[in-house]
Formats: sequence, structure tokens, C-alpha cells
Amino acid sequence: MIAAEDEMPVGKRRSSLIRSPQFSSLIILIVLLAVFAIADANFLSPLNISNMMAFLPELGIIALGMTLLLTAGEFDLSVGAVFGLAPVVVMLLVQNGGVDIGIALLAGLLLCVAIGAINGLIVTKIGISSFLVTLSMLLVVRGAALYITQGFPLKSWDQPGFFVTLLAGSFNVGSFRFYTSLWWFIGLSLLAIYVLRYAKLGNWISAIGSNRNAAVARGVPADAVKVWLFILTSVLAGLAGMISAFRISAASPVAGTGYELEVIAMVVVGGTALTGGRGTILGTIVGALMLRAIRNGIVLIGVPGLAYNIFVGLIILAMLILHALLQKNAARG
Amino acid sequence: MEVLRLQNLQKSFGSVRALKNASFALNEGEVVALLGDNGAGKSTLIKAISGVFPIDRGDIYVRGEKVSIRSTRDAMDLGIETIHQDTSLAPDLSIARNLFLGREPVKLKWLGVFAPLDFAKLRDAASALLKRVGISKKLDADALVSTLSGGERQSIAISRAMQFAAKVIILDEPTNNLGVEETHGVLRFVKEVRDAGHSVLLITHNIHHVFQVADRIIVMRRGEIVAEQTVADTDLLTVESIITGADMSALLKETRAK
Repeated sequence: MIAAEDEMPVGKRRSSLIRSPQFSSLIILIVLLAVFAIADANFLSPLNISNMMAFLPELGIIALGMTLLLTAGEFDLSVGAVFGLAPVVVMLLVQNGGVDIGIALLAGLLLCVAIGAINGLIVTKIGISSFLVTLSMLLVVRGAALYITQGFPLKSWDQPGFFVTLLAGSFNVGSFRFYTSLWWFIGLSLLAIYVLRYAKLGNWISAIGSNRNAAVARGVPADAVKVWLFILTSVLAGLAGMISAFRISAASPVAGTGYELEVIAMVVVGGTALTGGRGTILGTIVGALMLRAIRNGIVLIGVPGLAYNIFVGLIILAMLILHALLQKNAARG
Repeated sequence: MEVLRLQNLQKSFGSVRALKNASFALNEGEVVALLGDNGAGKSTLIKAISGVFPIDRGDIYVRGEKVSIRSTRDAMDLGIETIHQDTSLAPDLSIARNLFLGREPVKLKWLGVFAPLDFAKLRDAASALLKRVGISKKLDADALVSTLSGGERQSIAISRAMQFAAKVIILDEPTNNLGVEETHGVLRFVKEVRDAGHSVLLITHNIHHVFQVADRIIVMRRGEIVAEQTVADTDLLTVESIITGADMSALLKETRAK
């Protein structure tokens, strides 16, 4: 997929773009947005859009790392737990340990590096599937967050400062209110697009997910690439957790529960293959927008709260079926 | 001119001696077929040459110079390219990206793995290569490998080995899972590769293919090289009997007599 777009003459590029999974996802996103907007006028109100844009980057940032990891043929179920643990550690260090916030943030991120490295090393060097390794890591990390907080949310954060503004500052554009996290998401997205599509590393990532043995036989350091991608995903999950915690000025040991599946849903709904080899960052951005819009829109149009996951699940299934059918068609053509 | 010489290669896996003293030489511009039953040590031998794992004992010489091969990258740098059965290409990547996998042309080299691919160079080199090996008409350098047939994939993999001016190209069961037509295509291609001056080490189960393309035959049994013959001096039955260790020609005479 990645190869298809940037290397083709314009005419061919257009037709392959229309058949690409991220394009069909985009169409469905537009349809969904239109349906929600018609069903409830408040959907496109500045307040609601600001709301969606506050949540979007937090899961979206994790989804970027997950896309690269899935493209290389692995995935990470521990991201939700890391999302919870990282800010808890940072805030505990500052509030109870009296540590400088800059150092605390650094320590939090280093912890994420360690978690990602352990995931990656066990998967690549011992050869256990990433499903099992990261599932165990989910329990370890979530358990650690619960234990060090004794299960209680931390007292609310009351120290504004440079780092807090950097992670969770907000600004107004007309009647819209945006957070700096949106800039993080945009910047990281551009970086991820560059890496996956245009950089040498992206070629390696896709090749590893597509046929690991072939990549290794060409001298591509597949294990090292995978370990770094595990680290990246973990760090992005921790960063997202910090952004979220500083935005709401509180860290809870149960924050991010279930996020791993939501993030994987965003990625695959966008058209990245769960089996590796085919990844699209643009698709992931569309997928992140779509899941956010669905969660928000379904509540607005009055689906009962308890029934709401039924609809989310059904829409995800429909998207996956669509991708599978498109894939089949492409193979036949 | 001798390109590759193996001297007394030994390799054990635990108590299993997969290679016990394998020695042979490969000359420039010749196709040598490596034959043997399952478990004879063929794949151990080629994996040792291509750097998949290190040997326990023995020497490898490339163009008369003693070398040590510790990784697949070492082997590639020495001009030894190995094409494994079915596993040499990434199906989700384009032909061009596959041709240069691991050796991508980039701009801003100092960016390391983050350096941007040089797409113009990539496309031009890929098209030129496909044209040179005579498969330009049908194949577009931007097509995904998953859209190609098995024979086309083998040809792409072999072309890739040729492009880096490999001295030695090792083909591991290149005609496995191919149709009759495609098999002939690949074998024809092997001859062209030899005529272009590359040396080919061909591993196969199919003795008929050997007689179509090989100049020399090496037979392995239980980790040892048991026979080395030029194709012109031997025939199918003799080779078959060496592989299995049974005297097939005698057996055949017997049945004919009856």
C-alpha cells in the first residue's frame, strides 16, 4: 500500500488512491459526520467540536505508535495500563517525593522506555507472541499503578508551569477551545507519515511485517526495529497519559482501562492490516476521528448509554468487513 | 577462476553433526547443483555460506582470500546472495522497493535510518534492471509483489541478486511450487545469469532440472560430500543412486533381465 501512492504517475495514483483502504474509511467518516450533524444540530457546535478535539489526540497519539508496530507485525496490549501508570508515577514523584517536575516527567518517560524495551526484548529474543507478552505486561503495569496509589486517585494537581502548559495548555480560536495536545498529535502524525512512507526505516518496517525472513535475509535488523517500535509505542502511551492527566489535573490508577482495544480498533478501522505489512497513518488518523465521532455522536443522537457499545462494536465490524471485501476485490483485479 | 572455496566445514547442532568436513569449490560462470536427500546437510551448508549461522570449524575463501561470515550482511558484502525458497520477497512492497530492500538509495544519508528514499533513483534503477533481465514488458516496477506469479517472484529475486553484482548466487529450491511453464522460465533465467558471469549454486530435489542447467553436480549424504561430477560425464540414474546410496543402475539391469 505504502508503495502504491508516491511512486506512481498521477492518473494511476488517483485510481489506486480511490481503491485504497484509507480512502474508503474517509468516505465513511464523512457520511457518519453528516448523519450525526443532521440528526443533532449540536454535533457541529463549537463546544462539541472542542470537546472531541480534546479527547482525540490522547488516543490518537497512541494509535500512531500502534500503527507502526502493527505494520511491523506486532501489537501491544499494555498501552492502556502504561497510559495509567506514567502520569501516576510523575505526579507521585512531584507531590510526595518533592522531585522537580522536569525530572519527574523524564523519569516517567524512562519508565515507559523500560516497559517497551522489556516487551520488545521478550517478543524478539525469546520468541513469545506479542499478544501474550503484552497481555502479561498489561497486568503488571496496571497492578503497579494500583499498588503504588493504593487504588485511590491522586489529589488534584495544582501546580501550573511550563511543562504543564506544554502538555495540556489550551488556547481559543474564535469560539473553539483547543489544547496543545492537538499540536502534539499533528506533529507526531506528520513525523509518522514521513517515516512510514518516505524514510528508509518505513521500508524496513513494512518489509518486516510483510515477510520477516525476507527482510532479515536482506540484512534488515528486524529485531532491533521491533524493539524500538515497542519502546516508541510505550513512550507515546505514557506521553498521552500525562497529557490527559494534566488536562484534567488529576491522575487515576485506572485511567486508560480498555484503551488498548480502542486504539487497535482505530488502527484497523483505518485500514492497517492486523497481520502486518500494510500500514497507513492517514487511515489511522481517519480511524481515530471516526471512533471519537461515533462515541460522541451516538450519545448526542440519544442512543441509551448502556446500548452504546453495541453500536460502536457494530460500526467497527462493518468497517472491517468493508476492508476485507475491498482487499478481496483488489486481489482479484 | 575460482570464486568460492569451502574447506572442511563442520557444523553440529547439539549431538547432531549436520556437516562433517564439507569441501568444494565454485568457479566463475558455472552452475553447480547441490543434491542430496532430506537431512543430507544441504541447507546447513548453504545457511553457513549465507551467514545464517556461523560454522564450528573450517575455512571459507572468496576469490582466494580467507573470509569470515558471521551474518547475512557479511555474506552479501562478500558478493554472496542467497535466494531462499518462497521467502525472499515482501509481498506487500512494490517490486522496486523489494529490489532495493536493505540497500535503499537515499538522499541525506546522514539521517541514517530516517533518511528519505530517493524515489526517482529507486524507480529508474528498478526499471533499468527489469529491462536488463528481460522482464520489462510485463512488469511495472511499482506493482506490488503480491500481484505477481510464483515464477515472476523468483525472477525478481534472482534479478535482485544479479543487480548487486553478486559473485555467487545461491538458489534454494527455486522451482518449488512452480508450474511447468514457470519452471522453464526460471531455469532459462538461471542460464542467463551464468552467461552474465555469475556463479550459481543450485539446491534442488529435482534431478531433471539439474541436467537442464547445471555444469557440475555435488552430492551430499549425511553431512558429507560423497560425489562431485561434471554433468557431461554422468547420467540421471548414476546420480540418483549416489543420492540414495543404493545402486540403481544395477537394480535396473536386474529388473530388465527379468
